[in-house]
Amino acid sequence: MRGRLIVANPGIVVRQQHAGKDATEDVRRGIGAPPSIQVRFSCPTPGIATIVGGQLNNQSTRNGYGLKGAPMDRFLRVDMSARTVSFEDIPSKYKNRAGRWLTSSIIHDEVPATCHPLGPNNKLVFSPGIVTGTASPTSSRISVGGKSPLTGGIKEANAGTGWARRLAKLGIRALIVEGQADGFWTLKIDCHGASFEPAESWTGERLSDVYPTMFDRFDSLESVDICSIGIAGEHRMPAAGICFNDQNGRPSRYAGRGGLGAVMGSKGLKFIVINDAGAEGISIADQETFDGGRKKMAAALTDHAITKPQGALNSYGTAVLVNIINEAGALPTNNFRTGRFDGAAKIAGEAIFEGNKARTGAELYNHACSPGCIIRCSNTWHREDGTEHTSCIEYESAWALGANCGVDNLDQVAEMNLLCNEYGLDTIEIGGTLAVAMEGGVADFGDGAKAIELIHEIGKATPLGKILGAGAKVAGKTFGVARVPHVKGQNMPAYEPRAIKGIGMTYAISTMGADHTAGYTIAPEILGVSGKLDPLNPDKVELARNFQYATAFIDTTGHCLFIAFAILDIASGFEGMVEECNGVLGTAWTADDVGRIGKEILDLELDFNRRAGFTPADDRLPEFMTYEPLPPHDVVWDISESDIDSVFG
Amino acid sequence: MIDIHLYGKLRRFARDQDPTSPSIVAVTWESGDTIRSIVLRLGIPLTDLGSNMFLNGRYATLDATVQDGDRLGLFPDDMQLLYKWYFSPSQGSAAAKSRQGSPDSTSPIGGGTKSEG
Repeated sequence: MRGRLIVANPGIVVRQQHAGKDATEDVRRGIGAPPSIQVRFSCPTPGIATIVGGQLNNQSTRNGYGLKGAPMDRFLRVDMSARTVSFEDIPSKYKNRAGRWLTSSIIHDEVPATCHPLGPNNKLVFSPGIVTGTASPTSSRISVGGKSPLTGGIKEANAGTGWARRLAKLGIRALIVEGQADGFWTLKIDCHGASFEPAESWTGERLSDVYPTMFDRFDSLESVDICSIGIAGEHRMPAAGICFNDQNGRPSRYAGRGGLGAVMGSKGLKFIVINDAGAEGISIADQETFDGGRKKMAAALTDHAITKPQGALNSYGTAVLVNIINEAGALPTNNFRTGRFDGAAKIAGEAIFEGNKARTGAELYNHACSPGCIIRCSNTWHREDGTEHTSCIEYESAWALGANCGVDNLDQVAEMNLLCNEYGLDTIEIGGTLAVAMEGGVADFGDGAKAIELIHEIGKATPLGKILGAGAKVAGKTFGVARVPHVKGQNMPAYEPRAIKGIGMTYAISTMGADHTAGYTIAPEILGVSGKLDPLNPDKVELARNFQYATAFIDTTGHCLFIAFAILDIASGFEGMVEECNGVLGTAWTADDVGRIGKEILDLELDFNRRAGFTPADDRLPEFMTYEPLPPHDVVWDISESDIDSVFG
Repeated sequence: MIDIHLYGKLRRFARDQDPTSPSIVAVTWESGDTIRSIVLRLGIPLTDLGSNMFLNGRYATLDATVQDGDRLGLFPDDMQLLYKWYFSPSQGSAAAKSRQGSPDSTSPIGGGTKSEG
């Protein structure tokens, strides 16, 4: 079935392929040898394909393909070298894949494992989850995949944002960015197609200055969501994240870890702006099954003490964990020297809640970072004059920029958090890097003012700033520090592995480097979800494996990982998650498939990492943890190497 | 003596209730003390108590034995990150009670993937 072509661009070449047939049609207008735009797409079903017009010159191209009426999901492939886009049918083997399952599949299948992460052969893949864009609660996650410049291995980082919903509603199951452009560009995607604009004039700026003007330029926050890199990504720093706006337009939601912002920068891609007006939304194979599943999920989230309205996360944010993990003796302090921080209460969720109340005169409950979230855990922090300072101070950020640097001043922590958002940085990696730099004598532990100056160095991209923007491992080498708490080059997050052995196993074996979200074993160990476990018991092998599988599946659904609190405790919530997926896809998955699919994802990632050169020697916690006892429990990391190797061995 | 670190609304049982600093109550240890006996002695209603309690930094239950010199950390029910039915099944939700196995059993996820190890 042929689509109708309307070509308004002079000097472009359009190749149109229908349903696998090579029905190439060249349309040439204009003069000379213009930049070539190739719009290749397939129309599996009747529909109207529209190439929309736009300016074409040496710097700027526009082209597009009409998505309206497209009943099936597709891939959108973007070649930054030629600045062309093409739509593809989804290969049958990827039929039910989305989110992390799909990003890791494409990276595994298409990216040479030994390529340089910042070179032309790496790819950056965005994929919304299976239920993203539907009425399912707390499911607006976008997975971003690539080869990580921080770890040298495969990476999936995800964020909650309306951007994910818009991409899903446009029927784009995966956005694959490849090649490299000169300069920086904006990619705009809507139901008329995709187009490029130069973005050079937007570089070198704070993201809170850039986002409002970008919303103005592309209509408004009601119409578009924006994905961007900051200065750190523009300079291809390994601590650079990829930023998405929250529901209020704040540039504050990050696919933060692993330096994917640097990959995006290496592609010459500054913004991806999505407008979903006119999109038909998600097709659901079995509405009844889907509705049953999403209701079970909603009930579980609304019922559970952690996730319910005005529950722990809604009232105090994730930073409620500061006091709890500190009581457990597992809050890494002063670059992982101790497990308790004297100033913990000053930077905890309670202090944020009460501080906001004192400064604004109101009890501020937290907001949803993305549309459709029931948990609503995203907080704000206000200055003494009552104006908003920053959002969101997550537990990990309060810890990384606070306790781990010995800083107990919440206003200073807030400023550091804000600056990371402004410059496009991963708060965890930067907090970890500052702590290693403090260890190396660059600043004193507890000197928040100096820490703020150092983050500004990163924002100015000075030589010192670029060293710090390269992450904790590079800082350790640069400043001659042996106590560098990283795995595979990625700094550890906010749970001490010597005190909580299960999270240590997760750090050791994760395909992502030290990553708490790779397998949230913190939940049963400290939070008590799904059973009581002694955090100091080293028998953690099976726990670590199963949680990594389950996590990989949740990262595939498009749900926020925080649903784990509810669905691990409430069996019907877990069933609901599986039924929602079955409803969308028309599959007949059971709980067993959760483990099967999780294993499949991990196997793909492990295979990529093996081909990239990783060996069991990379699955190790840093040596100092084996000989430095951690106060207050005075424990060392004592899980045997054979136990670690047996998890995925 | 036993130092009790109180959080959230439990801070009202301490003299210093500033949420940006520890709210610590010192209690004289008595032979046979458990967390429950100390909580009752302080006048904290059990219904105010969350299921997050840490004895010397270790996750504990109400019946844990307390020694002289111990540190106890208590979080209230609206900051709890645990279900009460871990300690008292009768207070648990219907969904929680219908869950297979004992509170110490593995999760649905653990059950689903065990055989693949």
